[in-house]
Amino acid sequence: MVMVDYELKKKVMDANIHDALKYCYQCNRCTDVCPVADLAPNRYNPRNLILNSFLGLKENIFGGDDSFNIWGCTMCDTCDEICPQKIELTGVFTVLKNMSIAMGEAPEYYTIQASAIYDSGKAIPPQPAIERRREQL
Amino acid sequence: MAKVEEYKLFPGCTIGNRIPFIEASARKVFDKLGIKTSDAAFACCPDPVGFNSVDHTSWLAMGARNLTLAEAEGKDILSLCNGCFQTLKLVNVELNNNEHEKEKINKILKVVGKEFQGSINVKHFVEVLHDYGPDKIKEFVTHDFSGLKVACHTGCHYNRPSEIVQTDDPMEPVKLRELVAATGATPIDYSEEMLCCGSGVGNTEEAPSMQLLANKFSSAVKAGADVFVVICPACFQQMDTNQKKAGTQSNNEFKIPILYLTELIALSFGMNPDELGLKFHRARLTEFLTKNGFK
Ligand code: SF4
Ligand code: SF4
Repeated sequence: MVMVDYELKKKVMDANIHDALKYCYQCNRCTDVCPVADLAPNRYNPRNLILNSFLGLKENIFGGDDSFNIWGCTMCDTCDEICPQKIELTGVFTVLKNMSIAMGEAPEYYTIQASAIYDSGKAIPPQPAIERRREQL
Repeated sequence: MAKVEEYKLFPGCTIGNRIPFIEASARKVFDKLGIKTSDAAFACCPDPVGFNSVDHTSWLAMGARNLTLAEAEGKDILSLCNGCFQTLKLVNVELNNNEHEKEKINKILKVVGKEFQGSINVKHFVEVLHDYGPDKIKEFVTHDFSGLKVACHTGCHYNRPSEIVQTDDPMEPVKLRELVAATGATPIDYSEEMLCCGSGVGNTEEAPSMQLLANKFSSAVKAGADVFVVICPACFQQMDTNQKKAGTQSNNEFKIPILYLTELIALSFGMNPDELGLKFHRARLTEFLTKNGFK
């Protein structure tokens, strides 16, 4: 049986993308231009992510063997630019990533960087050696 | 919108705390051109790829806090980095066009005694230099860079999403090319000009990241590029430090200098490579400098 997650549906529909999402007609232009889908077509597919998001098919998105299907995105924003329906795909992907973090499925890099920012206000804390180099220039 | 007499300079964490020589070159170029900047107690922008993926609301709140510092002085922000630029611009536009979000964020900011107004603009340094005018920049050029073939790489967050950032054409940007041409060098065409450097996916997995980078390098080398010129510190680090890995990934050997736009402009103004800290580049510049008449 297919489980529809209405919470997920609501979140992606609300994500500052107005109601554009429901006009996705699965034309696949996003996947055509995606450089990551080009390299790893079986592991990353933005069109699929959009489809599963607006259908609320949470199990097709989360809880897989690895989370590359969400975190493979290199954030180049090319899909946003190309989508004939003007859907801001990366806005939806941000919702999915925030959820993936909350479920503890995200790559380490993201949680480590976030702790640094919460702690010091900087993603990359100042280092004495670099400070010295900075003074000299 | 704020008056453009002086900008609040936003160097960002990567430039400020990892690659200070980029900031040095930018400051020297602005000084020479008479573009006035001043500093402020900005925190991390925060990173549009990393931190926004972790928590969108915190990202908005921190970005808005930075904006309020410039608002307090009524000055526009000038960013040296694609990432900071995109974050601050996106936050500014999102909060300006969404009363509900603005209210929510202002409730958070109230705790630290701040309020987002939406009274200033955010600019990328390429926009600022281009507004200044390639022709006017040309007047300061003393070094002969004719014959130097440059692969321009704008990176993704300078010109996309175009409806919001409104800097340049989203898939065929021209401003960087025109600024490079102003130094006397020649911007070349190469097939993967719009390809991402791969830095984003590199946070998740190395192989696809190195493959994107290798594809980019191969295409530029094939087109005869002598150097890359970039305008984003994340692209700079990816391209300057990972040439060996990208080579291993793709059975290639890459040795191509990566220059920040402000470094190329500073050199064209006759500034000395040592005072610019060019020796700190990982992809060596010795050959490029000798070939182009610097000692
Ligand atoms: S390009 Fe837009 S409309 Fe086409 S499949 Fe992708 S999201 Fe849907
Ligand atoms: S932003 Fe992500 S999904 Fe969209 S084209 Fe770039 S890598 Fe692919």
